[in-house]
Formats: sequence, structure tokens, C-alpha cells
Amino acid sequence: MDHKSTVLRGQTLSQVLSLQHLTIHKGGERLLQIHTEVPAQSVLTIMGPSGCGKTTLLNAISGQLSAPFVMQGDICINGRSVVAIPPHKRKVGIMFQDALLFEHMSVKENIAFAIPPERYRSKKAQSIAIDRLLENVSLSGFGDRSIDALSGGQQARISLLRTLAAEPDVVLLDEPFSKLDASLRAQIRQWTFDEIKRRDIPAVLVTHDKEDAQAADGEVIEIMPC
Amino acid sequence: MLSRTLLLFICVVLCCVSVHAAQPSNQNASPQKKANESDMPAQHVRFHAWGGSAQVNGYIRWLSEQLKQRHNITLQHVKLADTSDAVARVLAEKAAGNVEEGSVDLIWINGENFATMKKHGLLAAKWVGQLPNFALTNPDDNPAMTMDFGEATMGMEAPWGRASMVFYMRQSHLQKLQVNAPTNIQQLLSFSQQAPGRFTYPAPNDYLGASFLKYALLSLNPKQHTLFYQPVTPQALDDTLPSLWQFLDALHPNMWREGRTVVRQASQLQRLVGTGELSLAFTFTAAEIPSAVERFDLPTDIRTYAMDDGSLANVHFIGLTFNSPNRQAAIKVVNFMLSAEAQAEKQKISVWGDDTVLDMRMLTGKQQRLFKEPALHPSALDKTLPISLLAEPHASWTDALRNAWYERYGARY
Amino acid sequence: MFTRLTVFTRLLLFLLLLMPVSVGFIGVIFPSFGYFPALDRHDFSFDIFKKLFAVDGLGRMVWLSLFTGIGSTLLATLCTFLLLAACYKSSFLNKVQAMLSPLLVLPHAATAIALLFVLSPSGLFARLIGSITSTTIPSANAAFFPYDDWGISVLCALVLKEVPFILLMALSVMAQPSNVRKLAGYQRVGVSLGYNEKSTFFKLMLPSIYAQIRLPILAVLVFATSNVEIPLILAANNPGTLSTAILHWFNHVDLSMRLLGSAASILQVFVCVFAILFFITIERGVALWGRNRLHAGKRNFFERSIAFLGTSVLAVYAVLIAMVVYVVVMYSFATYWPFPHLLPQGFTLLHWQTALSAIDEPFWNAVALAFATSTSSVVFVLLTLESEVLAPAKQKVARLFSLSLFLPLLVPGVAFLYGLVWFQQLLSTHALGFHTYIAHMVYVVPYVYLSLAVSYRRFEPRYAYVAQSLGKSPFQVFWHIKLPMLTNAVCVSWALGMAISFSQYLPTLLASGGAIPTVTTEAVASVSGSSERLTAVYAILQGVMPFMGFVIAWTLPAMIRFARTRKRNRFSQKVMRYGP
Repeated sequence: MDHKSTVLRGQTLSQVLSLQHLTIHKGGERLLQIHTEVPAQSVLTIMGPSGCGKTTLLNAISGQLSAPFVMQGDICINGRSVVAIPPHKRKVGIMFQDALLFEHMSVKENIAFAIPPERYRSKKAQSIAIDRLLENVSLSGFGDRSIDALSGGQQARISLLRTLAAEPDVVLLDEPFSKLDASLRAQIRQWTFDEIKRRDIPAVLVTHDKEDAQAADGEVIEIMPC
Repeated sequence: MLSRTLLLFICVVLCCVSVHAAQPSNQNASPQKKANESDMPAQHVRFHAWGGSAQVNGYIRWLSEQLKQRHNITLQHVKLADTSDAVARVLAEKAAGNVEEGSVDLIWINGENFATMKKHGLLAAKWVGQLPNFALTNPDDNPAMTMDFGEATMGMEAPWGRASMVFYMRQSHLQKLQVNAPTNIQQLLSFSQQAPGRFTYPAPNDYLGASFLKYALLSLNPKQHTLFYQPVTPQALDDTLPSLWQFLDALHPNMWREGRTVVRQASQLQRLVGTGELSLAFTFTAAEIPSAVERFDLPTDIRTYAMDDGSLANVHFIGLTFNSPNRQAAIKVVNFMLSAEAQAEKQKISVWGDDTVLDMRMLTGKQQRLFKEPALHPSALDKTLPISLLAEPHASWTDALRNAWYERYGARY
Repeated sequence: MFTRLTVFTRLLLFLLLLMPVSVGFIGVIFPSFGYFPALDRHDFSFDIFKKLFAVDGLGRMVWLSLFTGIGSTLLATLCTFLLLAACYKSSFLNKVQAMLSPLLVLPHAATAIALLFVLSPSGLFARLIGSITSTTIPSANAAFFPYDDWGISVLCALVLKEVPFILLMALSVMAQPSNVRKLAGYQRVGVSLGYNEKSTFFKLMLPSIYAQIRLPILAVLVFATSNVEIPLILAANNPGTLSTAILHWFNHVDLSMRLLGSAASILQVFVCVFAILFFITIERGVALWGRNRLHAGKRNFFERSIAFLGTSVLAVYAVLIAMVVYVVVMYSFATYWPFPHLLPQGFTLLHWQTALSAIDEPFWNAVALAFATSTSSVVFVLLTLESEVLAPAKQKVARLFSLSLFLPLLVPGVAFLYGLVWFQQLLSTHALGFHTYIAHMVYVVPYVYLSLAVSYRRFEPRYAYVAQSLGKSPFQVFWHIKLPMLTNAVCVSWALGMAISFSQYLPTLLASGGAIPTVTTEAVASVSGSSERLTAVYAILQGVMPFMGFVIAWTLPAMIRFARTRKRNRFSQKVMRYGP
């Protein structure tokens, strides 16, 4: 795994997520408004009580916003507005609380599914690359395992690998560490943030946990109770 | 990925094949069927015939096999629950202007179904006289071959078989109930009074049910027989119906289910005898009884006999539709059905037992020998005993009788 | 592109559900007002209706239809709730579900035939009594079932068929995730407030469940009121129900009776509407009465009697099923079987041979039709459900679509099928297979949709979000993620579609004009035939065929999973062998 992954795409600019006067309405009522920029390698943390639109904000960025929510404003990734782009073309990765690994595929197949087409020369090369990825998170040899045999921590790691294997421009994190027990939490959190830094992309983290915010070490926005 | 695409492709193909496979086999296209004898490709004839009897179905299967072998014709038996279904279909086709691509080629009919088809011009005319084997029925000496319930057939339908009405009863039941089998219409009434609930007759929309009414009418009015062979008149009805009503009014309360429910089809009558709910019934197909006993559908103590005051008898026919696209092949089929081999096979008790329409005098010695029967089954009708036959009255009587019955006893749906 | 395909499929499905029924309806409305060019009738008038209302016994026919329809639905609903109340807490419920599911897919005609074998004067039940009382002659006049004047025989058969359906609908509603938590919560609260199990069920859980199964129950009601097969086999005919009269009039040799039949079809629709209104009134009445009782605070709601009744319903089913299976199997192999013996005198394979030699064409026709309709239904429904996610329609349109889904179930078949067939004949007199396919689709699609929709909507949407975030297009999400995860549900819906197609009687008969026999049409024809034994064989075949469909549905997912694992292992073995 090397730095060159970013350079291979032919861009020397880092990715920047820009939320310009992004307002979300629900049934006529304004839910939240946000205007900020998230530079590469940094994590924007959104905090606030449940039901106030944190997940809705992530949905807006990823393009999964549906009725009765309505959005106004602009979302730009590296200067290009993505509002009109369908969700699967936005290159916005998501990690949820649940690992949501596809149970009908093995670990390797889950990750392979995320890899962009034509990324590797052959299936064998791809397989080797995935093995290396698994090694880096201390899961070597897990490639052929089926999903239901994995622990929560193992699933979280693979979910992380999968999200990043798709080479997204932005990563959204919807309380991804809250289901992990304390001992694993810090480690996986660190891995996640390290990867984000390494890939030189911005991230948005939604969480309840103050420790997560501290570890993210970026701008923190608190959504007022509604 | 590839395997799943392949699976999808196979599914789509199978779907299309299935929809096509569920089509009835003949998709006759065009007037090119008017091929001549020498370059006969395989031809397809659809024969619409009542399918409620295993023996009839079996015999028609034998016909199909023979026709395939001999003439490379595929005879498809379209099984009907009720012949009027097919009549209605041809009528609907005519109403829709379909004059060349009919879905029915041959149809097994007689009596009022024939009358309806003749009235609406649904049958091809004057083709029967051209059949080589028709001469074997000796039509000049046997007017029954060209008359169907008093209507002239006009070459529209070919005779196929003959039937007379016989009664059959469960000997063990009658012994247990200590009654004798009735041998005339009055004894039938006293039988029902001594052993209520053991007899019934089908609703008159069924051919057998209407025949029972005709039999009763004829037997109860022995002195007015000439009236029955002329078209019905209101006066004739006034003269003859009262005795019938008196009889039926006395009979109904002692019938199966007290006459409140009647069976809709004749075959149900046989079924009820089989299960033991009835002890006495009647049928037009005497040969069916021993066959049914052999097939375990009727118990072994069944005995068949004919009434002393007469058995209603008639001929049943095959009609060719006016819009059949397979006319030549259909005519060949009927000709084979009138051959000595086919008629002899049909008369065999083990096959169907339907009496032949051929006149023995017109057959060669070799052909006559085909008709010889082995020993008699205990449940079969003893044909050596004399049976007095009652000819079918004029066709108009059937409708009149039926309508009058429905008016008096209520429509039975 | 994919999205457009799914929206197109949704429109296609909508038309498929709407058009045949509407067209069929038009095909009977015009003749009922006297317009039938084929018979030279060109003027509109009320004469036909006048003639209809002058028919002797019409009132009785209508009453019989209403009594059997409403009565059976009320009784079936009650029995279902008693059953649920008695065992909704226990694991026994799964066994109950398993026992009653096969009944769901048994064709209606087969149910009627089965009852005949058990309850007729010469049936198994009568034989049991006859053995005790040493009667050797079965007497129909002393018996009540079938053909009784009140229609109780028809009612029994309908109830028998309806309870599994309503039960399974209720269970699927109760299993929906939005309901599971709510109902479990209600149950806990009820118990903590001191109400016993049965009370909790009736007072707290039932109101929410009922609201969600109301539409299927109404569909059941309409079916019961307008059904043809069961009264044909079990009802008295002096007169019978309105539906059998309609059948009779349409099949009459005198074609002008078709006009009368058309008018009667319109009447049948009104009868069904009346039944629905009546049922809703009763519903409201019960709700009102119930609400008053809620305030009373009574804790023990007929605890013991409900438990008893619920278990008796189960017991009745168990006994009946056992008796039916016994007598039908015995008859199919029986030689002579005199009354009142409980065992035949001997056994033979003759009846099976006779049936199987004649069953070739009907069997393959039935399988072909079922395969075509079920498979295409599943595909269309999947695409339609996908369109609801990808391109959700406006609320009004969505509601219209749901209504159209229930249209074939809410409009009596006997009312629109004749019109539909007339229209099909106008289009083409040859494409009988296609016509029958359409007639079957009209009935198969709603059931496949209802069955798949439940699972589809239960599908965790975040899997799709994740896949999209990984850059997969909607089609790829559908093909690689949704379909594999829904394999079980798809297979079960497919089997259900097959079963529904197998059980169709009137649509097959009318659309093909009798040219395409299926096992069901042969079975019903054999009931009016002369052989009890052959009918038994056909009844068994009718029961076994849908069952086979479900066996395939249960084993297919396992087979697919096995094939997938093998492929995976083979690939990884290859990599290991050739090394990095």
C-alpha cells in the first residue's frame, strides 16, 4: 500500500469537501443549516442529540436524501458540485454503525466488490492486493472466511477496508465505532483516521462520543436540539 | 456473474417456450392445407367429444393411434364436460366472422345440439353421402341413420353408434330392502314408495334426464304415440303432460334428496350408485356398466335390465363444422370411424360396448366375424333377451318437455 | 437506464392488473344493457335486467351467495383470531403455520372434493358411524352434507380454505419489523397491567393487526361470495348460488342467455359490494362494542373458553386433514370398497395408471403455464418493487397502484372473465396459450407482489446505500446485492405463484375454450364423472403439485448457496496453488 494510490489518479490536488449554505427542511420546518469546508486529511465531527438530522446530513451528502426531507444549498467535492450527480457516481464512501458486510460473499469478495473495475491487471493481482490489505489490519488469512463467523471488531475492520477500497473522495462515518467495545474502539478509530490521513481525503464523522471528537481532532459542529 | 447471466437467459428462454408449449398443439395457419392426397404431410383434426367416460376416451385414443399409423393424421380429442360448450364456441366463431379457421373440426352430437347447429348453419352440408363406408349402414333400409330426433340430417352428420336406455340396480340393496326391481313405469313409482331415497334422475338439461322424461311420457301415454312423432303442439302438450306431472309429483318426494337437489350430469348418477347412495339408476350406455364393474367403480352385485314397457333408443352422430380448416382429413377420420374394424372395436365390451350402426347384411363374412363377443359378464345386459325399443320422439318435444319441467319444478343451476 | 426499465415495468404491471378487469367488465356491461352485435342486438335497454329480476328464485340465489360468503368469512376470521389468541405466545405457532400452509395452496376445487370424500353420506365419517350402527346402505336423505338447502356445506368448505389464508396474512403482518417491536411492547404492557394473555391479544394487539389485514380479508370475502368451484361441487341446485347460475347461463346453448348472464354478472358485483358494506358494518359494530368493553377494565377475557375454542379449531383441522388424506389415498388404490367398511377389499394400481396415462397433457400444460406465469410475475414484481425505491411515485399514484393490485381479487372472476375472453377472441382466435397466460397472470401477480413486497420492504436499505457508496450503479446493486440477499423470499414467492396458477379453474377453462386442459380442469370435470376413484387420484395430484413447487423453493436457495461456496473454494484453491 503506498502513497502513489492518490497520485495514480493524476491529481496532485487534495480533495476538499465544501458544504455551502447547506440547509435541510422537513415538512416546511428548517432542520439544520451548515456552511463549512472540510480540507483533506481532516475530520469534521457533527455532534448532537438523536433525531436532529445528523444522519440526514450524511444522507444529503451521499445523495440518499428522500422525502419528506428537502435540501437547499450546494455540496462541492474539490470544487465540483455533486448535487446533481446520482449517489453511485459521487464517490462518497459511508461507514455505518453496523458493518453491513454482504453475507452472501466472503470477506475477500466483499472487498473485491468495492474495488473499481480495471484497477488491477488480473484477478490474481487483485487477490494478492486484498491479502495485503487484510495483513495491514491484522486479519491475514481471513480472505476466504464467511461473514457470519466474524466478531464485531473483525467486521468493523473489514468494513473499513471495503469502504476505502472503493477509493472514495470523501468518507462519511455514521457512529461507526459505537457498537464496538472500549478496548477495540480506540484501535479501530485510530486505524480509520490514519487511513483517511494517508489517502489525503476529508471525512465527516457523526458521533455521540466526546472521545471520538477529540481523536478526530478537527472542526466540531454541534447541532442544536430541535 | 457469468453463471447468473446464463441462468437468467435460460429462464427467459424457458418462459417463452412454456407459453408456446401451453398452446394447444394445432396452430393451423393457412389455406395451404388444401393439399392433395399424394403429398400428405401430417394433418391435425380436432375432435370435440364428451370426455366424462374413461372407456370412450380410451376408444378415441385407439382411433388416434390407428389414424396416425394408417393415414398419418393426428386426431386430438378435446374433452368436453358438456357438448353445448363446443356448440356455443362454433356459434361464437360464426358470430365473429370466423369462416375458415374454426377451432372445432369434428363434434360428437345428436338431438338438440344437432338441431341448434343445423338451425344456425354451423355444420358442413352433404359430406356424409360421399363417405365410402356410409353405404355399410344401409341408410335406405335404416331411416334412423339419416334422422336425428325427427330432424333430417341432410348429410351434415354421420352416424357413429347406437344406444338404448337400460336400467341397472344393486341386487344386495334390493334384497336387503325386500323390494323387487321395477319393470315398468308404474312399478317404478311403487318402488320409490317402498324404498324412498334410492332412485333419482338427472336434471332435464342433461341428455339422460330428458330421456327419462320422454320415456315416462311415452309409457304413461301408450295410446297417444302418434302425437309424439310429429312436431309438438300446445294441444298435444295439454293432452299428455298431466299424466306425467301426476307421476312426477308422486315420485319426487320419494327420490334421492327428496327431489330438492338433482344431479346435473348422468355420470354423477353412476357415481352415486357406486358409492351406494342410490340403488337404482339408468343409462344409455349399457356396455359401460360391466366395464365400470371391472374397473371397481361399480360393485359386483349390479344387474342390468331393460324395462318391459320399452327402451328409448337413438343413434348418435359425428358432425363436421362449417369452418373446419381440416376438412379433407376430418372426412377421412369419419370414414375410418365407420369402417368395420373401428365399429367392431367400439362394440367390444372391454373397450366401449357402444352398439354399431353398420348393417350386418352389408358386411362380408370376414367383417361380420369381427363383431363376435365372448362370454357375458354378470353385470352386463343380456342381449339375447328381447328388448322392445321406443323410437325417439320428434326433436321439438325435448325442448317443450324440458321447459315445462323447469317451469313446474324450478330452474336447477 | 435500469431505473427507466423498472418504471416501465411498473407501468406494465399496472396495465396488466387494470386492463383485463376493466376490459372484461366492459365486455359484460354492454351485453347486459342489450348491446350484442353478434346476436343482432343493437339497442340499449333495461329489458335484460327486467328479465333477470323476473327469474324465479333469484332472491334465494343472492341470499345463498351472501350467506355463504359473509358467513364463511366471519367464521373464518373468528376462528383465526381464536387460534392466534390461543397460541401466539408459544413455539407451537410455527408448527401450526407449517401444518396450515399446504392448505393454502390446495386449489379450492380440491378442498371441496376432499370434504366430499369425508363428509358425504358414503364418506369416511358416515362409514365410521355406519360401522358402529351396522348400517350397510348409505342414505342421502338421512344425511345433511352436502347439497343442504342452507348452504352450510359450501360454508364449511370456504371456512376450511380461508382460515389458513387469514392466519398466514396475520402472521406475516405480525412479523414485520415495524410491528414486532410494537406488538411485543403492547403485550408486555398489557401483562404488566394485569391483563391475561388472551385479553391482551384481543384488546391490545388485535386492533393494530386487524387494520393491516383488512384488505386481504375483504378479498377473501369477495372470493367467497362469488366463487364458482365450491358451490358447483357442494351446493344444492334448487337453486344454487348466483355464481353457478351465471356459469350456467353463459354456457347455455341458447346464446341469448349470455345477455342474462352478463346482467347477472353486474348483479354479482353489487352483491359483493353489499357483502363488503355489510361486513364493514359488522366490523364497526364489533369495534364499538369492543371499545365500550375496554373501559370496563375486565382483566379476564374468556380465558378458558378461548383457549378451548382455539385448540378445538386446530383439532378439527388436524382430524379433518388426517381423515381426508386417509380416505383419498385409500380410494385412489381401492378395488371394491363396500359401505361401511373402513378398509377397501383390495388394492390396485389401475386408477393411477388410468389417470397417469391421461394426465400427460394436462400435467405439462399446468406446469408450463405455472412456470411461465410465476417466473414472469416474479421478474416483473421485482422490477416494480425496485422502481418504488429508485423512483418513488407520488402518493396518489402509489395508492392507485395498490388498489389496482387488489382489483382482480376484489372483482368477482365470474363477472369479468367472460368479457375478457370475448375481447381476447376479438384480438386473436389462435393465441390461446397467450390468452390463458394473461388470464392466469391477473391472479398470480397480486399474490406474488404481496408476498415479495413484505420481504422487499423488510430489506435493510443501508446495504444498498453502502453498495452505492462503493460506486455500484442501481442495476449492480439490484443484481449483486439485493437479489442474492432476497433469494429465499424470491423462491417462496415463485412457489406461491406456481401454486396459484395450478389452482386456477375458471380462467383456464374460459380463456382457452377448453383446449388447454390442466390438472385442475380435469379434476373438476372428474367430479361430475362416474369414477370416485379417479377423482381421488386427481385430488391427490392437485394437492401434490403445488407442494412440489414449495419443495423446490425450499431447496433451491440451499443449492445456490452450495454452488457459490464451491465456486469460491475452487478459486481460492487456484490462487493458493499458483502462489503470489
